[in-house]
Amino acid sequence: MISAANLSKHYGDLVAVENLNLDVPAGQLFCFLGPNGAGKTTSIKMMTGLLKPRTGRVTICGIDIAVDPIAAKLKIGYIPDMPYLYDRLTTTEFFRFTGEIYDLERDRVEAQLEEQFKTFSLLEYRNVLVKDLSHGLRQRLVYAATFLHAPEVLFIDEPLVGLDPYTIRLIKDLLIERARGGMTIFLTTHILALAQDIADRIGIILKGRVVALGSLDELIAQSDGHDLESVFLNLTSSEYEG
Amino acid sequence: MSISRGIIRKAGWQFRNTGRILREQSPFKVVFITLFALGFEVGLYLLFLEGFHFLDQLGGAGRIILNHLFSLFFMGMGAMLVMSGIVTGYSTIFQSDEIPFLVTHPFTTSRIVLYKFLQSAMYASWSFGFVVIPFVAAYAYFLKFSPFFALWTLLFSIPFLLLCAGIGTVLVLILVRWSPTGRLLKLLCAAIPIAGCLFLWSVWRETYEPGADVEFTLSKLIPGLRPATHELTPSWWVATGILSMARGDVVRGGLLWVVLVANVGLVAVGIEWIGSVTFMTSWRKVMGSRRRGRHAAVLFPWAEGLLGGVDRDIRAVVLKDIRIFFRDPAQWSQALIFFGLLGLYFSNLRTFRYHALPDAWRNTISFLNVFSVSAVVCSLGSRFVFPQLSLEGQGFWVLGLSPVKMSRVVIAKFMLAVVALLPISTLLMLLSGAMLQTGWAIRLLAVALAGCVSLAVAGLSTGLGAVFIDLRSKNPAAIVSSFGGTLNLVFSLAFMLLSIVPFGLLHHLRISHLLTPTSWRVYMGGLTVWLIVITGLTTILPLVLGARSLAKQDF
Repeated sequence: MISAANLSKHYGDLVAVENLNLDVPAGQLFCFLGPNGAGKTTSIKMMTGLLKPRTGRVTICGIDIAVDPIAAKLKIGYIPDMPYLYDRLTTTEFFRFTGEIYDLERDRVEAQLEEQFKTFSLLEYRNVLVKDLSHGLRQRLVYAATFLHAPEVLFIDEPLVGLDPYTIRLIKDLLIERARGGMTIFLTTHILALAQDIADRIGIILKGRVVALGSLDELIAQSDGHDLESVFLNLTSSEYEG
Repeated sequence: MSISRGIIRKAGWQFRNTGRILREQSPFKVVFITLFALGFEVGLYLLFLEGFHFLDQLGGAGRIILNHLFSLFFMGMGAMLVMSGIVTGYSTIFQSDEIPFLVTHPFTTSRIVLYKFLQSAMYASWSFGFVVIPFVAAYAYFLKFSPFFALWTLLFSIPFLLLCAGIGTVLVLILVRWSPTGRLLKLLCAAIPIAGCLFLWSVWRETYEPGADVEFTLSKLIPGLRPATHELTPSWWVATGILSMARGDVVRGGLLWVVLVANVGLVAVGIEWIGSVTFMTSWRKVMGSRRRGRHAAVLFPWAEGLLGGVDRDIRAVVLKDIRIFFRDPAQWSQALIFFGLLGLYFSNLRTFRYHALPDAWRNTISFLNVFSVSAVVCSLGSRFVFPQLSLEGQGFWVLGLSPVKMSRVVIAKFMLAVVALLPISTLLMLLSGAMLQTGWAIRLLAVALAGCVSLAVAGLSTGLGAVFIDLRSKNPAAIVSSFGGTLNLVFSLAFMLLSIVPFGLLHHLRISHLLTPTSWRVYMGGLTVWLIVITGLTTILPLVLGARSLAKQDF
């Protein structure tokens, strides 16, 4: 469902990503790990069409995002770490606006509004302006709106930033459930416990290059670690030791 | 079509919610700002009306100018709208936080660019409307046109606004896409047009000899009159179209309106096409250039030595603010434009041969120049000094938890404002005096007035900025247009009037021989005391109030 071939991105002399080759099949929950500045966000931005790669190509459900971006975007849902929302819309208006831009039928949007707002405990905030929401509530609204058009592929950059324990549990369960339902999920995180809990497959990126790729058990076996933390630290300690 | 419908509906919701947000504000604040806006409009209306009467009284040339004034006004507004279209177009198309949202949703690039173009045109429409309404009202009243004049103006103003903002958008799309990235090329691209303008200016100055001109021509008296009244310029279409409609020539007016709308359509097609071809590359280029930026580890390291005598805590705050200010081109470029335009005007006073005028006129122009410098100082105080403390934002806890007293933070901000405003305003007044060849007494007075306005505005803006601090807002424009910001601007302008007008009036009475030398000296002494007292009070009182308010602030 997600295929990245020879993706590279440089910022002047800085190599952000170098020759990234990755295939994430349908229904897989893929976690991308790495230290700060390793190239996680740059990778996700290239895959969603926000950044143009220096080399390589990305296909989403077989559609090259550089060739037919609109068709690819209709398949994608993207939740950045600090998502943009329209401050002067209420939560309901923002949700309906999202439905309009995906050209969804009004009945479907209204039905989803009830369902998603209930799932994310937003019903009591349906008349509240986005500017008056806390960070956690804004994140919940973004999740609700992103699931509205039922994307086949979901990209999430740091999914649990600023969320309370209840919402963290909710989102973890939801992501697992959606992946089981066939949704392909690509997420980046610093929280190793999250990757250990929910990932079907894990990639570790360091200085723009993928240094490890596989299931949790495969990674542990490859690097003589006993858990994901020891695997991660073994692979990336050079970055911190200078 | 659904996407366009969605965006239109979103705009409608946002507009409706603005009313809801306004209702949540303090009624006093809303009433105060509304009254200020109304007062501004009425003041402009009266000023325009007085100007029309003045031109009418001149007879001959005045009447001819009056006939062409409508075209000239729209040409001036058009130039302003194109410039505004470039500036707001750049920020709305390439720097808006909304773009990543739009790009990751199923919007075509041409639609994103068209939507952003309309948004920037709407931003520009506020200032356009604020100036057009009193001008047109005064013009219609003076020439005794029917109330339908307002309708015709609205009908023509909307496509005119879109056309000018559209030209600005096209220019910004082209500039961003094809502007060079190398430092040398950037310098060359900036230097060549400037050198060209300077060359043309110098050629014009050498060949233009007003004294040798026997034939009086309006186009030499009023720059821009000839292009403004040319039949191929949009300003002429608008002005002539509105006047034709008002005079009942509906066919001619309608034809000109169609010409205008057709040109808007052409520009819109151009924006759509250029946008679809260039937008993504340009936007990524802008995003990429932000990341690539290499900065000195310490900006202006020599400034630390320069401020060696200043207490360390105050020096630290001042240096921090200087470094942040100069690392943000949007900040310093605005200040540069403000003062640069005034500097350009003052340095060219002799081109207009103002120095050859009688004493009375030179002194009057000198006072008007004090006004213009003071007005710019007030604007800068509101735009840069007032939001200083609020823009500390969420980083304010660093100062709040440090062992620095809040009163010293206020003093540091005040000192920085004085260092920024005082030398420039006084130097500009010295330049004005030198170019006008006024007497030393007038020069000294002009410099003293500009200095007092700078001190008072620095104190007022810093103090009120502390009293009305808003640490949640990241947007300087929102801080400036808040209740505190508006109050600060009103007080600054009031100080400007209270300090300059009495001196101007006194000089006028003296020149008109309505005062004896003795009574002039007595009044002058009294006004000097008045100036010192109001400057002291306006500078110190807000600083004290601000420091007290800040000490009680939660972080």
